[in-house]
Amino acid sequence: MAAVNGFSETGHGYQTNTPVTAAAPTKQSLPPAKTVDSQSVLKRLQSELMALMMSGDSGISAFPEEDNIFCWKGTIIGSKDTVFEGTEYRLSLSFPNDYPFKPPKVKFETGCFHPNVDVYGNICLDILQDKWSSAYDVRTVLISIQSLLGEPNISSPLNTQAAQLWNNQEEYRKMVEKLYKAPTA
Amino acid sequence: MEDRTSDGVKSEEISESFICCVCLDLLYKPIVLCCGHVSCFWCVHKSMNGLRESHCPICRNSYNHFPTICQMLHFLLQKMYPIAYKARELQVLEEEKENDCFSPQLDAHAHNLQADQDLENPACKESSATMKQLDSISHISDNGTTVPEQGTNGNPEATGIAIDIDKNFPQNQHSGNCKQISVADVLCAACKQMLFCPVVLNCGHVYCESCAIGIAGEMLKCQVCQSPQPKGLPKVCLELGNFLEEQFPKEYALRRDAVRLKEVDSNRGWQTNGSTEGGKQADILAWWSDPHSKVHMNAGCDSCGMYPIIGDRYRCTDCVEKIGFDLCGDCYNTRSKLPGRFNQQHTPEHKFELVPSNMIRNIMLRLVTGPIDDGSTLLITADGSENLEDLSSPPSLSGVTEENVENSLAIPATSGDGAEEHQDDSQTTEYLN
Repeated sequence: MAAVNGFSETGHGYQTNTPVTAAAPTKQSLPPAKTVDSQSVLKRLQSELMALMMSGDSGISAFPEEDNIFCWKGTIIGSKDTVFEGTEYRLSLSFPNDYPFKPPKVKFETGCFHPNVDVYGNICLDILQDKWSSAYDVRTVLISIQSLLGEPNISSPLNTQAAQLWNNQEEYRKMVEKLYKAPTA
Repeated sequence: MEDRTSDGVKSEEISESFICCVCLDLLYKPIVLCCGHVSCFWCVHKSMNGLRESHCPICRNSYNHFPTICQMLHFLLQKMYPIAYKARELQVLEEEKENDCFSPQLDAHAHNLQADQDLENPACKESSATMKQLDSISHISDNGTTVPEQGTNGNPEATGIAIDIDKNFPQNQHSGNCKQISVADVLCAACKQMLFCPVVLNCGHVYCESCAIGIAGEMLKCQVCQSPQPKGLPKVCLELGNFLEEQFPKEYALRRDAVRLKEVDSNRGWQTNGSTEGGKQADILAWWSDPHSKVHMNAGCDSCGMYPIIGDRYRCTDCVEKIGFDLCGDCYNTRSKLPGRFNQQHTPEHKFELVPSNMIRNIMLRLVTGPIDDGSTLLITADGSENLEDLSSPPSLSGVTEENVENSLAIPATSGDGAEEHQDDSQTTEYLN
């Protein structure tokens, strides 16, 4: 695992003095995440919050937790004409110190019966992993998850039961209703 | 696409075009990628992948070179939004100090001097090869101004351009609200007229698309700094183009007519970036599938910007900056004299050493990053031949070793894994244990 971490590290430095060894990643010349760096993360998150509040997108919303702008709570409402219509889901978003160069960690807090969501709420979505781009933001992430609800990727399911049931939309809808617990404020 | 209020001092309302998609703030030391998308110096650099090719944050177009700051755009923004730009400068400087790693200092004086020289010397204009192309639609009049021919003589717009270029008219009350900027701030490096469909080369110099096509022979090379352009003609920077059209609608329309007329004359088809796609793809595959190609992770060439460096890497032994100073093999051999990308105090007297690339890291890098994209096409065989299709080639290693390596790396198992072989498995295994 060390190797994976070492390799996927995106350095600020143009090159490293010390070889990043696989066993023990030393990143001497890569400046560590500093307070000033998190200043720019802070600024960006504030901009996002402003934009999100002004945008008036229907079906998605997000707001930082009490006194930590690095942790947000979001909500998604299932789109019309999908089996998730009328259901509401709460999510948690936590932003790394090198956001937006690294994706936020996004999880369902409300149970969601979906082929690409596991029982712990983990989401399998490429843009939250290797297809992340620093031009994405909270809004695009939530919209993507919202559309993932209606258009799951059946070929690589986290929840195989949901994936198998997906072909039968009527039964699926019943299952969603049966398992659904509205988030409490 | 709002610009600014009339007082222009207290409230600088920044055009949407000049908001960086990464930091969501005013672009600072802007860089234009070969796909035409713009971002700040640090936003581009931090978005890049030090291990393999990088992708544009907006369109995912892949690229391998960290472009140089577009100075024209830099000074344009500085002029349009002096207060906001200054604020950005201070804020970025603070971060740079904290990280002890600096972006290049851009010299306004040198930039203006160059522009002025170009303008005051009509001979220099005419000597430019691309200028000749435009002779059919415009001529240099006696007072050194350029007047389009097609029935626009005496037309106030045409003279408007001339006045701007000559800078005889200090307060350009131009069509837009941006008082300070004039056509003289947005000239093509080749034809010295206002940019039309601007393309920004890897070196940061800006040309009209038609002029860049004009100079693109065997290989596109910047006429100003002689830097070769990797991967062919860049795409038009639409943000800048749209801004110019909005700001100088009449002049832009004139330029459009002139360029179109020229195109009909020369009967030259547009060669868009599309034609380079094939070669680009092949390029990337070539070095990814070649186990002998050396990848210097997180190391970039300070001359051409290749990042990570593929092939030979030369490191300056005299530069003291933490970020170091490196050149790729090509730039080392051509004795590149360009300054460093991070304001290093490098001089031509400095000595270099050849840096060996770490083979084990290279192999592991392939294992780790290979399956992410087009994993099926990136198979490495033990004999070094590139095996792009034969998924069934049996692994020559013992199953145990293979398993060890895979487990230790925690690679997501894909069907293609079986065909991946390691050049030096014993060493790799030992290293991991």
